[in-house]
Amino acid sequence: MKRNVQVLLLLFLGVGLLHISLLTDLYLRYVRPGLRPALIASGVLLIVLGAVSAARDGFPFNRPRTDGHDHHDGHGHGHDHAGGPKVAWLLYVPALTILFLAPPALGSYTAARDEAAAPKAPSSSSSSGESLFPALPDTGVVPMSLNDFSARAVWDTDRTLKGHTVRLTGFVTPSGHGTWYVSRLVISCCAADAQVRKVRVHGAPAPPADAWVTVTGTWHPTGKVGTDDASPALDATAVRRVPEPKDPYHDLG
Amino acid sequence: MHGDVEAEGAGGLRTAARVGTLALIAGLPVVVLGGLALWLGPRITEGLDHRAVAAWRTVFTAIVIQGVPFLLLGTVVSAIISAFVPAWVFTRVLPRNPALAVPVAGAAGAVLPGCECASVPVAGSLMRRGVAPAAALAFLLSAPAINPIVLVATYVAFPDTPWMVAARLIASLLTSVAMGWLWIRAGREEWLRLPKGPTGHTPGASRAEEFRVSLQHDFLHAGGFLVVGAAAAATFNVAVPHSVLRLFSDSLWLSLPMLGLLAVVLAVCSEADAFVAASLTGFSPTARLAFMVVGPMVDLKLIALQSGTFGRAFAVRFSSATWVMAVLCSGLVGWWLL
Repeated sequence: MKRNVQVLLLLFLGVGLLHISLLTDLYLRYVRPGLRPALIASGVLLIVLGAVSAARDGFPFNRPRTDGHDHHDGHGHGHDHAGGPKVAWLLYVPALTILFLAPPALGSYTAARDEAAAPKAPSSSSSSGESLFPALPDTGVVPMSLNDFSARAVWDTDRTLKGHTVRLTGFVTPSGHGTWYVSRLVISCCAADAQVRKVRVHGAPAPPADAWVTVTGTWHPTGKVGTDDASPALDATAVRRVPEPKDPYHDLG
Repeated sequence: MHGDVEAEGAGGLRTAARVGTLALIAGLPVVVLGGLALWLGPRITEGLDHRAVAAWRTVFTAIVIQGVPFLLLGTVVSAIISAFVPAWVFTRVLPRNPALAVPVAGAAGAVLPGCECASVPVAGSLMRRGVAPAAALAFLLSAPAINPIVLVATYVAFPDTPWMVAARLIASLLTSVAMGWLWIRAGREEWLRLPKGPTGHTPGASRAEEFRVSLQHDFLHAGGFLVVGAAAAATFNVAVPHSVLRLFSDSLWLSLPMLGLLAVVLAVCSEADAFVAASLTGFSPTARLAFMVVGPMVDLKLIALQSGTFGRAFAVRFSSATWVMAVLCSGLVGWWLL
């Protein structure tokens, strides 16, 4: 790869990183929010590196090098240094992707393929006798995360969900025969480790796949609570379309 | 095309025929390519919109974006080592005897805060600086597995089993030191294409210029291989349904290597793999330990990075040996502690 092409690549990649992390929130589709400072720093560093290289090597046309570098081309290394590594061409793919063709956040395709990660069984060691699930407030509709709702629906033998109207927010994952889930993907580092949370919705027709909705309704007990049989489900009274949240992987009510 | 034989006398006709021929020759590819583009174009856009392809692109982009800051950190550290740290520092800090240097270097892995993308370029520059390959390899394996960030993440992911943190630390350290010693006994110099940086022999260049050239070269080189690894990992991530794994969760002896293989193909960053391991309910703690010990040491992304830095002959042998060692060590430590 020629030096001027390297400069261009460094600049593209740097600008692309700043584009998704500083100027927009696109990075939230791929990585956790905490990585933002690192992405901005990387973008700045790459742009500085590209600018210095442009000044030293000449841009857009290579300045002929006068120092000793060209002697080494004949040494028979895997790659010549003035040219630089060929494999670096591949970096143009992500660089241009994040600049111009940023792919969407993971959605119902991924959520449908996987079983929901079973919510953790409550640990008896940390709670000395008292319930892990505090009582829900009695006032009106309770917004809940899918994780909290699933954990209570599966493990809460005190049945704190009973008699409450809750509101869940997520995207629609259809699963055949008109059944559907309100679902979320939760990531801990990047989209490669996404885990599925989903709650079956009864009593409402399925909106289109990947649409973001808030579902208001009451708990629909399924299976024996406290065992692996139980699965989270909801009797919907209202389904409302909402805009996709900024951070689609942040499971909130 | 042979129309010009009859049009011998008529100059105008001949020119016309020649122009026609040329137009045909030039036009045919244009028409074919144009038609192909018109026919393929919608298919390609449609293909990009296909949900599996979209998921692939998202996972691929995510792995690259996740890796770039750590790769930059690693290449900055390695460029500093190449340009500013004299070789005698390492010969003085590390014991002269490689067999003793291996555990020291393995334990030193705890200081590099980052995931596995950072450790490969640093290990390369250490070898370039004259550190014994066995010691540099022990560092390469232990750094992403036992640094404080990873251990804290493990503690957070397994709140009920604090022993998991100790087990991970011990099994990872054991594997890296064992691999370092194995390299001393069985490793061969010729497998290792010792990394030759662009620096160190430029007479006129200042230190800062050496640093820049080395950083740019290493980053672009390793970055290209990161892209290869990310593409492979994204393919497995999207193509293999995780529910297949549940078939193997019953048997300890099968689940141990199964989760070891899963760690290789998923290529989850070492700072996050504890959370993935925690989510693999139904598997024994020992099998999940294997997932966390193998992940930072052998995965598709790392194999690509290693073959870029040290050569393919090395990466294949080293990665497979490390995989076996990591599964054995986690089995042993899991049986002892968990």
